[in-house]
Amino acid sequence: MNVETLAERCEDGLKHAKRFGADRAEVYGETTRRLAATIEKDDLQLSESHEETMIGIRAFVGERVGFASTNDLSQLEDACRDAVVLAKASPGDPHNVLPEPAEIEPLDGIYDPAADGFTEGEAVSAAIRMLELAHSIDRRLILGDAEFSAEVFGRAIVNTAGLKASEQGSLFTYFALATAKEGELVSNFDFQFDASRFVSGIDVEPITRRACENALGSLGAGKGKSFNGTVVLSPNAALDLIIGLILFQMNAKNCLKEMSRWKEAIGESVAAPLLTIVDDGRLSGGVASSSFDREGVPHRRLSLIEGGTLSSHMHNSYTADAFNTGNTAHGSGSARSLPGIGPTNLSILPGEATKEELIGEVKEGLFVARFSGNTNPISGDFSGVAKAAYLIENGRLSRPVAGSLIAGNAFDALKGISGISEERERIYNFTLPYLRLEGVSVTAE
Amino acid sequence: MRVLLERIAKRAEGFVELRYHTRTTRRISVRNGDLEESSSVRLTGVGVRALVDGTFGFASTSDLSEEGIKKAVGAAQAAAKTAAKAKRERIARLAEGSCAKGTYPLPTDDPLGDHPLEEKLELVLSLDARVRNGAKEIVSSSILFSEIEDEKVIVTSDGVSAQLFDSKPEIRVIAVAERDGDQTMGFSSVGITGGWSELIGRRSPEELADSASRRAVDQLGAPYPEGGSSVVVLNPELVGILTHEAIGHTVEADLVLGGAVTADKIGHRVASELVTLCDSGRSEYLPHAVGSLPFDDEGIIAGRTVIIDQGILRSYLHNRETAARFGVEATGNGRAFTYSDPPIIRMRNTYIEPGETPFEELIEGIESGYYLSGLGMSGQADSNAEFMFGVREARRITNGRIGGLVRGVTISGNAFQVLQSVDAVGDDFAWDNGSGYCGKGQPAKVDAGGPHIRCTLTIGGKQ
Repeated sequence: MNVETLAERCEDGLKHAKRFGADRAEVYGETTRRLAATIEKDDLQLSESHEETMIGIRAFVGERVGFASTNDLSQLEDACRDAVVLAKASPGDPHNVLPEPAEIEPLDGIYDPAADGFTEGEAVSAAIRMLELAHSIDRRLILGDAEFSAEVFGRAIVNTAGLKASEQGSLFTYFALATAKEGELVSNFDFQFDASRFVSGIDVEPITRRACENALGSLGAGKGKSFNGTVVLSPNAALDLIIGLILFQMNAKNCLKEMSRWKEAIGESVAAPLLTIVDDGRLSGGVASSSFDREGVPHRRLSLIEGGTLSSHMHNSYTADAFNTGNTAHGSGSARSLPGIGPTNLSILPGEATKEELIGEVKEGLFVARFSGNTNPISGDFSGVAKAAYLIENGRLSRPVAGSLIAGNAFDALKGISGISEERERIYNFTLPYLRLEGVSVTAE
Repeated sequence: MRVLLERIAKRAEGFVELRYHTRTTRRISVRNGDLEESSSVRLTGVGVRALVDGTFGFASTSDLSEEGIKKAVGAAQAAAKTAAKAKRERIARLAEGSCAKGTYPLPTDDPLGDHPLEEKLELVLSLDARVRNGAKEIVSSSILFSEIEDEKVIVTSDGVSAQLFDSKPEIRVIAVAERDGDQTMGFSSVGITGGWSELIGRRSPEELADSASRRAVDQLGAPYPEGGSSVVVLNPELVGILTHEAIGHTVEADLVLGGAVTADKIGHRVASELVTLCDSGRSEYLPHAVGSLPFDDEGIIAGRTVIIDQGILRSYLHNRETAARFGVEATGNGRAFTYSDPPIIRMRNTYIEPGETPFEELIEGIESGYYLSGLGMSGQADSNAEFMFGVREARRITNGRIGGLVRGVTISGNAFQVLQSVDAVGDDFAWDNGSGYCGKGQPAKVDAGGPHIRCTLTIGGKQ
């Protein structure tokens, strides 16, 4: 379905909702065409194609709200009625509000018309390129899992406050998960991801190479050492160990529910002064770049942590109303669900040291490529296994180690950041550097 | 729809599998008295798999017209053809199994749709209030009611033609307690295959709310355990978790081919002779297990598969493709979450068969150990059967008696070694993992359970 037709169907939905008794409403639609080719166990597994249009209706009756969605547009009227029925049965909440229309500046660089002609064959070729590259690098490598996916989509939103917006986008994403095997020895896997908004920007080589080299490097891992001290996290490990906590704490809904320690922390130090985190929904080439959020609020660049000091929470229209503050355009989610709160393109700004320099200053420590464990988003306590890890001795990676447990508290870890690399990697919608943390407990099993 | 799909399948070239699936998911969630969500999501469409030159292609569409479905068939065939040029290991054939035919009705006389939204909302709000009024230490509560209603039609060009109706409701309760800066959480849930009265009948919602707040409050001030190897009695829920997470995934044939620890172990002793471990599409022993399905998403009747028979590994879990490769019958484990997901190998209801030892005797013999119930907030397991799970509730056992609570307990080890250490299997049985989802690229509703068992594993205390 093209985006103009989608926008018209959203307008239809708005009329239905009003007719069934909604006094305010929002209709959000998404239409997607997606091709994907997947590799499993060193062989092409599946080539697939999908088409779907989904429309979600938020109906308001006074302060009460109900939500229904459908991908069967012959049932759009029913879905609108359901949303109104759900609203009428629900208790009210004064913060159930809709955003007023604001000027949305169109965003270049998110849609490539060439993506419309991208074929299944090209998706398969890209996946095969990853596989062949892995095999050409080293025979011991296994590409256990990899995927190339091409998506063209349209989004449209209308609400009864007069807000109206739509746009088209294209997105190519690809990931590789590599393992190395030599005789009985099996390495930990390494996972790498990248993406492009343009056909011309597709390049599966760097991530495949990186996944393969990391997998090879961790072959033959031995027993580690137990100590309390320095750990260097890869961007991947940083994502799993600390980003979830940061997102949870910055989410204004969690502040409202008294689950965030950072509720009153704006202007206070929450991390080492080295750390600056920016969220930019209009980032050039960003995976999550778009001109407006799930509620139709224009995206912009926003600093979340500035030099270690918390500078903003993430808000949608509900929490902005509840805190009587500005909406930061972090309404997130799809047409299948009510708007939540989430980041767009979130980046930790690069530091001044190279990755080598970060490691070079460490007498004894652990380098962690992947963190397999949990961080409690409320208490900050984390524990888990350091995967594809290396012992750092006298400023260099001395040998791969397996089975080391790392544990600590992520709030303390943020304050204990002692170095940030200038190199950064993209994982999904996050762009992250290598981070050096102090005071982490490492236990060799 | 069935007639339409049959007509399209008949005219298609080569093997095609057409799956129409309409799913309606309704959710009501309340936190601390505020409604967080009241929603209804309808997802409908057709997923098509085509086998061309020994290679699968998959396409899905939400366009339900004959033209739309035919277009998807064409797209799946084209995708298969393109992929075949690059595929190394071709699919020689698909295994046979018992093909599903006919219509399978809703597994209840009390459909969820007969109960108005107001009734469900009222229940959720009253449970939320009950949790918060349960004890003065309770500072936060959260209740989720959700229901999934499915209609599916599966038609293949080699003889499957069947329709099913299904419904799976669940309730989850979270209570947070606080005293002197110490914060703890209690969790209770129930999830079944069936209708409204079966859900309410399985566990009373009030008891669910009370047990969540009691669990949270009881743990306040509880000591942490000493780490180390220990004799333990696992409750049915934890037996289910171990069985599903740490054993079940390692016998999914796709993971076996990917190098899981069970490769080449068929016929070998992998557990104590007291252990018989199965995965079934039926609700064995007790009704309403949430992973129950009459047939899988390849149209194969979903019966009972004995994975470990008295300690000996006997079978993996298969779809039609892997069963053919292993030269066995398909086990009915090919499952897809929505119409746009291709079917992959998934568990259904996974459990250990009950034994002969009464619960009291399991405990009596233990000089020093722990009685462990339920999964805590964290858990992970690898394809080599190494696992680490948080335990929701742990009590010391001293001289054959169950004593006080300890908290923050984790258990870890190799699941097969743990099964080797089983020295007694209880004579009871429960399904108790019906809420929530198993994840493997796409979610799945699964259940797991068993009797109480006594075994030895590694206890971790506070970090």
